[in-house]
Amino acid sequence: MGHNDSGGSEKKSSESANDIQTFNAENLQSNMKVIYYSRTFLAIISGVIAGILGFTGLTGFIFYVLIMAITSLGLVAKAKFSVHSYFDSWNRIILDGFFGGLMSFVLFWTFAYDIVHIF
Amino acid sequence: MVTKTEETQLNRLESQVEHGGGGAWDYLCLVRKLKVRRSDKVLKYGLSILNDPKKRSGLGAEEWTLYEQVAIAAMDCQCLDVAKDCINVLQKRFPESKRVGRLEGMLLEAKGSWAEAENAYASLLEDNPLDQVIHKRRVALAKAQGNLPGAIEFLNKYLEIFMADSDAWRELAEIYVSLQMYKQAAFCYEELILAQPTVPLYHLAYADVLYTLGGLENLQAAKKYYSSTVDLTGGKNTRALFGVCLCTSAITQLTKGRNKEDSPDLQSLATAALEKDYKQRASDKVSVLASALKSLKVSS
Amino acid sequence: MAEDLVLDTAIRDWVLIPLSVVMVLIGVLRYFVSKLMRSYQVPDAKIVKEGQVIVRARNLRSGANFIPSKAFRARRIYFSNEENGLLFVPKGQAQNAQAQMFSDPNMAMDMMKKNLSMIIPQTLTFAWVNFFFSGFVAAKIPFPLTQRFRSMLQNGIDLSTVDVSYVSSRSWYFLNLFGLRGLFSLILGEENAMDDTQRMMQMSGFGFDPTKSLSAEKDGLDIVQHEWALPKFEQRAEAVLRKLVS
Repeated sequence: MGHNDSGGSEKKSSESANDIQTFNAENLQSNMKVIYYSRTFLAIISGVIAGILGFTGLTGFIFYVLIMAITSLGLVAKAKFSVHSYFDSWNRIILDGFFGGLMSFVLFWTFAYDIVHIF
Repeated sequence: MVTKTEETQLNRLESQVEHGGGGAWDYLCLVRKLKVRRSDKVLKYGLSILNDPKKRSGLGAEEWTLYEQVAIAAMDCQCLDVAKDCINVLQKRFPESKRVGRLEGMLLEAKGSWAEAENAYASLLEDNPLDQVIHKRRVALAKAQGNLPGAIEFLNKYLEIFMADSDAWRELAEIYVSLQMYKQAAFCYEELILAQPTVPLYHLAYADVLYTLGGLENLQAAKKYYSSTVDLTGGKNTRALFGVCLCTSAITQLTKGRNKEDSPDLQSLATAALEKDYKQRASDKVSVLASALKSLKVSS
Repeated sequence: MAEDLVLDTAIRDWVLIPLSVVMVLIGVLRYFVSKLMRSYQVPDAKIVKEGQVIVRARNLRSGANFIPSKAFRARRIYFSNEENGLLFVPKGQAQNAQAQMFSDPNMAMDMMKKNLSMIIPQTLTFAWVNFFFSGFVAAKIPFPLTQRFRSMLQNGIDLSTVDVSYVSSRSWYFLNLFGLRGLFSLILGEENAMDDTQRMMQMSGFGFDPTKSLSAEKDGLDIVQHEWALPKFEQRAEAVLRKLVS
């Protein structure tokens, strides 16, 4: 389910990646937006899945980290493994939106878990 | 900027509408969103919606936007009667609106009554001195009258406030070039390159201006900008390739071969690329190219 | 978990789900209301100009290496000289801006409007939650927490024996408030994404100070090392052409 929502909006933002980086700010921004959206989306979906499967405690958080790692991997694959032609640093692809998504994850995890398992 | 996907979408919609497939409203929305100029089509399809009461009322509040769009398109096509009708409808609906006032100014402009249009814009600007569109209309007005110094003056006044507007910088640069004020034009192109360093067109235009200015330093800079254009376009830009050749030969002429800092490879590569390109796309002109390149080489 | 509470399914049907749904709906509603209330105000020429100056200076900073150093130096002086540079803020004017903020009723009004669209629905929902659902144990978070979180998660029920992971309805409201932001940014577009946090910041600082960003931009511009990138492009062009020709 990786990164299919990241669509075709990623554009080549630099012409070539040797010593000078030439980035188009707009394209970079749109790439970041794509990352943010896919992360939030996956955080919500994975929250619901974790809740339905009944993960509790640490397992749930490990599940979240795992999903985020898969997302990162998917994004890197989408960028055809040449991260520097789409983003200015690795942190963008790995960390951006990680903590923002955590809150949504916890909420939907709790929600689904309660509905399925508690009552 | 219109991206390629947007353009294909637009063209697809256009042909769909043309063949009676419907979707005229979507097409008009897209035209408006992308700010492309297809006035004849807009006029035709926009009117077909406006003349159909059922379709028109289906738009709701968007109806007025359509009136505005059609009015502007009609002025562009010199259908002044249509434009006038549209503006009158809008005037009735929004009697105090500045936006309608702007349209009226544009109508005056389209009729060619410059002084009246100028007055209309001036009074509109008094109410809202930060209306970018009206500032730009005034520039266009001055330009239409052939009053280029006036246009420059208006543009400078506009850029003093909205100095991050790269379209205005571009317009100013082009006016300066047409008046042969190359130093000023160079400044404008520098500004454009700063704003969008990855657009090869600005590099190319800047290089042209530098080459025209002449002098060793400028020629060397021009060569560098031609090469950056080559790099940014992947060697597809013929003008940049010619520019590289011209610059190199001009530099060697000036330095009389004492030039050590540049490698001679670039010129030969550029010529080779040019020859290849001409052979592929215009094989009948290869001989012309060869003689032109030869004249450059002779001088070196 | 020996002391598992048994929660009535009616709580789920009549507290947990309605609360969440209402939160989502209110978020959507607020988005549209704030869109409606966004009034058109005539911007002040000075503020517009300052914003544009900042954009242009930022462009200069990021694109510095693309123009010849002579051009860059001329621009830098234009922006940051101590007499009449565009980014130079005379001392004493810095405080003025804040005072002006307070004295300008229009600006305060606008700020009020912005904040109202945030505060009113929030207080209303909070009051509504308090009124209808106070005292319910509405949910249970699926991971253990320490006692410190009791006041956060069991706001509204005064029982010290209940396991901390049970969440009261009021706290569920807060959880929703923060957790739904991601969902809103997905369904409403990015406009809404950071809205709340930004507004909070604005509230605390009561507006931002444009002179501050001007001088910050000036400092940034002063330390830029100019290194013309274009000479490298000749080699790059050679490489490109070589690939093309061969």
